[in-house]
Order: sequence, then structure tokens, then C-alpha cells
Amino acid sequence: MDLDFQVILDNFTYFMIGRYPNGPLGGLGLTMYLAVVSCILSFFGGLILGLLSLSRYAVIRYPVNLFINTIRGLPLLMVIFWMYFLLPALMGKTVPESQTVIMGLTVFTSAYMSQIVRAGIMGVPKGQTEAAISTGLKGWQTMLYIILPQGMRNMIPSFVNQFVSLIKDTSLAFIVGVSELTHVGTQVNNRTMSYPTEIFIFIAAVYFVLCFAFTSFSRWLEQRLAWRKSI
Amino acid sequence: MIQFQNVHKWFKTLHVLNDVNLHVKQGEVVVVCGPSGSGKSTLIRTINKLEPINEGHLTVDGMDLLSKKTDLNRLRAEVGFVFQQFNLYPHLSVLSNITLAPTKIRKTPKKEAEEQAMQLLERVGLAMKRDAYPTQLSGGQQQRVAIARALAMKPRIMLFDEPTSALDPEMIGEVLQVMQDLAKTGMTMVVVTHEMGFAREVADRVVFMDHGVILEEAQPEEFFLNPQHDRAKQFLKQLLSPMH
Repeated sequence: MDLDFQVILDNFTYFMIGRYPNGPLGGLGLTMYLAVVSCILSFFGGLILGLLSLSRYAVIRYPVNLFINTIRGLPLLMVIFWMYFLLPALMGKTVPESQTVIMGLTVFTSAYMSQIVRAGIMGVPKGQTEAAISTGLKGWQTMLYIILPQGMRNMIPSFVNQFVSLIKDTSLAFIVGVSELTHVGTQVNNRTMSYPTEIFIFIAAVYFVLCFAFTSFSRWLEQRLAWRKSI
Repeated sequence: MIQFQNVHKWFKTLHVLNDVNLHVKQGEVVVVCGPSGSGKSTLIRTINKLEPINEGHLTVDGMDLLSKKTDLNRLRAEVGFVFQQFNLYPHLSVLSNITLAPTKIRKTPKKEAEEQAMQLLERVGLAMKRDAYPTQLSGGQQQRVAIARALAMKPRIMLFDEPTSALDPEMIGEVLQVMQDLAKTGMTMVVVTHEMGFAREVADRVVFMDHGVILEEAQPEEFFLNPQHDRAKQFLKQLLSPMH
């Protein structure tokens, strides 16, 4: 089989940023945009859900855990569909597809992030809480000044891994017509008709390089943080 | 200062405190000893409500620990607690470990809190370690910082839960010395320890516990020379010559 990667070079800018700046951002640029924005939002979403799921009040804990477990029990595609149909109905106006996807990714990833937060918090020895409250610190002060700073260190590598999943998950935005990298790939493929292998090898390579870089970063972080812990 | 009246506590079915009556007066140093599992740690942990009691009355510095109106955070700010495992905050420097509570709770200005922290560090002989992190210190140094951290809140009562049990033998002395100096300042102290030398020299009273019951309460001399209860005799014998 002869491969001809000329098609990639011809459409390179389109793969990278879509029609930007003459049109909307697309391709890899949009993929990264979706991943980064969803990641930041789900960091806070995960933090809030994680803290609430550890609340000492059952009235808060139970519904939050129910929500988290429901989301974790659904395929991401389903969550995106739900957002696609639900958001416009809730807000009474059309919502741009990319925002629909960001919402879907955020809700979905927050549920997973909450488990990272939860594990990170529970990984901090109980003696730390006891020491803090023994000096008179209130519950929230103990969480803010003592537990979270230590727990965050346990969480960071997992957060980066979750971000890698997010990058890959953005390809599902394809289904509601958002022109991120995968969607752009199919567009070029439909237009040129004869180079599907080259195009999808390239798309796969882009995802791989990106995700591999972040996975390596996460491993490096893990070692570095572990080392600093042991001095 | 601290008054236990008919206090009971259970862990599920285990009766860990059984009808405890104890009165600690202001400025008094009370050493609590007893075999492991005797309830002595639980006893000291009830005083700042790290462990709640199930029955009876417990008042600390005029505050009723069973009353819902008692401000638990205020109580804990008045009562310093030193742990067996030090429990310093590993992500904060020595100085920040000490200044955190005063600046956040007492709203002491940072500069003033740091000056006070330095005075405390000098008192425990660790002024040069102000910028070190807990993991860079030896066990004995960590425990001395932990004592300084507790003192930074200017507590009226200090509780020590086996403060030297996690230390290498050569570091025990430095911590006991700090505690002895503290006792001389008139601090009300309750100390759970096996250090009988400390009990003999510093304590006003020794309390012996077993199976959640206070079996004996006496002046140190009396307790060591003439223990009344069989189990106290046995305990002292084992402590003095563990091989037999």
C-alpha cells in the first residue's frame, strides 16, 4: 500500500486551527480549547463535589454521591446527548454546540475528579486534622490550610491523567457537529475521498503525541512530588 | 480546672472509661499512667473533646463539655494538645506551624505572631530551625516544635499524650526538660507517660488506670514507694525491670 501524506501537508493549517482566524476555531486548536476549558471547570466542579461528598451531613452527602455515581454510570456520549437536548430546553434558547460539549465534559469529568479529590483528602493522616482542631482551628480552616494543601499534592498526578482522558474524550464532540480534530479529519476525508489511511494515521498520531507528553509529565510529577515528600 | 464526674465512655461494646472521677486543680501537674489499653489516652483526649464522652459530667476551665452551648473551638484554643506522633504540618515551615493558629484564630498580626513564635522557639531551644520543614528535624526537635505550636495559643491547660513514646531514647531527655520548664511556670498539665522519672520529679499527683478505671491516685513518692493496688504494683515492677 502506497501512502501519500501530501494530503496532510495541503490541509495542515486546517487540521491545526480550522478556518481560524477567518472563521471559527477548529481542529487541534478547538480540541485543546475544549479540553483546557473543561479541565479548569471540572477542577472546581470536582473540588466542590468531592468536598460535599465528604460532608458530615447526610442530607448533603447522599444526594451528591447519588449524582456522582449516576454520572459515573453513564457513557460520556450519553451525557453529551443529554446536554445537547437539555441545555436549550432549560435555558430557553439555543446553545452553541461547543458550549454544550464543554458542559457535558465538565459534568462528566467533575464526577471523576471528585473521586480524586476525595481520595486525596482521605489520604491525609487523621493526626493532621486532630492537631489542627486541637489548636482551635474551625473545620473549614483545617480543610483550607492543612488538609487541602497536603491532599492537593496527592491529587496532582491524577489530575493530569484525568486531563489526558479529557483530551481524548473531546473527540466525542464530533457527534454533535463540533469541528474539533476528529471532525476535521472526517471533513477532509469526505472532501478528498482517497486518503482515509493517511488522514486517520495522522489524527491518531496527533492525539498520541499530545497524550503521551502529558502522561510522561504526570509520571515525572509523581516522582518529583514523592521525592520531595521524603526529604 | 478540669473536673470529671462519673464519666463513662464506650467504643461500641468496649467500656473504655468506667466511672472516672478526677479533679485537676489550676497549676497542678498530673501524670496518668497504666498499661496499654487502660484508657489513659482516651481519658486525656476527652478533655478537649477529640473523643466525646457518653455519660457523666466533664467541665474544663468552666466550660461544660456536654452542653451544646459550649464553643468547642474556643475550648480547644484554651487547651494545648501534644501528640505522640507530633503531627506537625509537613507542608509548612517550623515558624508557620507555630504562627498559623494565632494569626487565623486570635487574629494576631503576622509580625507579632512571628515574634512570639521566635520567643517560644528560643524557649524550646530551636530558634535556628525557624525556616526548616518538619521532615528535616529529628523526632525530639519535632516534638519540641509541637509543644511550641501548642503554647502559641497561650493555653490555660496543656495535655500531653505519650509525648516521648515515639522518640529514640537519646531524645527523650530534651523533650522532658522542656515539659519540666513548662511545669515550673505554673501551667496546668495532664501528662500521659511511662516516664516515671518525670512523674517522680515533676508531678504533683500520679493517677494509675487499668481497664478504664482509675485504680489509684496518689502523690508520686507514695505511689512509687507504696502502691496500694496489686495491678499498680505489677505495673511498676514490669516498668522497672521489663525482663522479669
